[in-house]
Amino acid sequence: MRYIGERSNDPALLVLTSLADGAKHGYAITTDVEEFAGVRLGPGTLYGVLARLESRGLIEALPAEDRRRPYRLTAEGSAALEHELQTLQSVANRGLDRLRVAEAAR
Amino acid sequence: MTARLARLVLGLYPLAYRRRYGEEMHALLEDGRPNARTVLDLLRGALLAHLRPQDAPTGAVDAADRVRASAVGVLMCWVLFAAASFAFYKTTEDQPFSAAGHVHPLLGDAHLAVQAVALLASATVMLGALPLIAAALMRARRDPGARSTVILPFVPVIGFAILTAVVVAVAHSAGQHHTSSASSGVAVAWGIAGIGCGVACVLACRAALFATPVAPPRLRAALASGTLVTVAMFVIAAATAIYAVALAIDAGSVAGESNGPFQVLSVTASLIVVTVVMVAAAILAATATRRGWRVRNALAPPAQ
Repeated sequence: MRYIGERSNDPALLVLTSLADGAKHGYAITTDVEEFAGVRLGPGTLYGVLARLESRGLIEALPAEDRRRPYRLTAEGSAALEHELQTLQSVANRGLDRLRVAEAAR
Repeated sequence: MTARLARLVLGLYPLAYRRRYGEEMHALLEDGRPNARTVLDLLRGALLAHLRPQDAPTGAVDAADRVRASAVGVLMCWVLFAAASFAFYKTTEDQPFSAAGHVHPLLGDAHLAVQAVALLASATVMLGALPLIAAALMRARRDPGARSTVILPFVPVIGFAILTAVVVAVAHSAGQHHTSSASSGVAVAWGIAGIGCGVACVLACRAALFATPVAPPRLRAALASGTLVTVAMFVIAAATAIYAVALAIDAGSVAGESNGPFQVLSVTASLIVVTVVMVAAAILAATATRRGWRVRNALAPPAQ
């Protein structure tokens, strides 16, 4: 299948989605994202995203466990993720509806 | 090998990132199996981290360390810039270039400007560095444990001086009995060794500077020197660009001659490469300087 966009596998969205069910540290985020999205986030990409999300107040760091620091969504991050996913869902529903109508008309 | 390379690339991240995420990133590299893709991803991440300072973690670096990092950043850029300047000097040192400079005043003026500003900038580097060197030496005098850190920056400099002496001695003893490709190879190897020693020296200076308590006025002086050096880099780069254009227009035959150790580039192409390296170094230095100026007022006042 041809690749037509990157919104659904935007690293920031994937990281926020990974943190939606609780706090995780870097390695847990990468394995989780790989499992549910099939995307392997490299350490440079992951920490670039974590820095960006943290600076925007969408996630926060918890006290480090050993050398690994878990991150969790803030209330603002949860709201932003929900909004983004609803938008994606709305787009997906609209697209699927139109495909069905076109299929029926053929 | 790849894992070690990946850990080395972590050193290319801005200081704030290394302080805030360095341990975690090391742990992540230990948890996974770094490969070439990991190294490329880290290189890209480091570049983006430098280009997007607005995303940098706040509070990870205090003002004094920020200024230290700025000073070291400018020094590193100066090393790269000096290598390009040396290439400019070697390219334009021969008689046809000085003859062209006498006939076409713009060429002569641009060449003179490069030399004069380079001299001033070198003096400014020394002026900015001397108070920091003095602070490091004073600390080494008080604390024997710090001596190796303070001495370390001198090692690459001495090593390069010895290497240069050996190369010159061998070249003199060989006289005319060496091939041009052999001498070109030696020149390239010497140049690479010079850049390597310069980078090693700056990294050692960095370690010494971060281990040395420095009074805010000295840090401010270093920042001011770094700013002047950065301005000088832009002036020299502009003068070099003017020289390259003027040479191509006024002395086309000289500009079209083969140049460089293996004679693979024309003089004009060499000057373009030199100018690009100079501009890149100047832009990086300006970025480092700007970061220092942002926190200048947050430097603690000198102890009463």
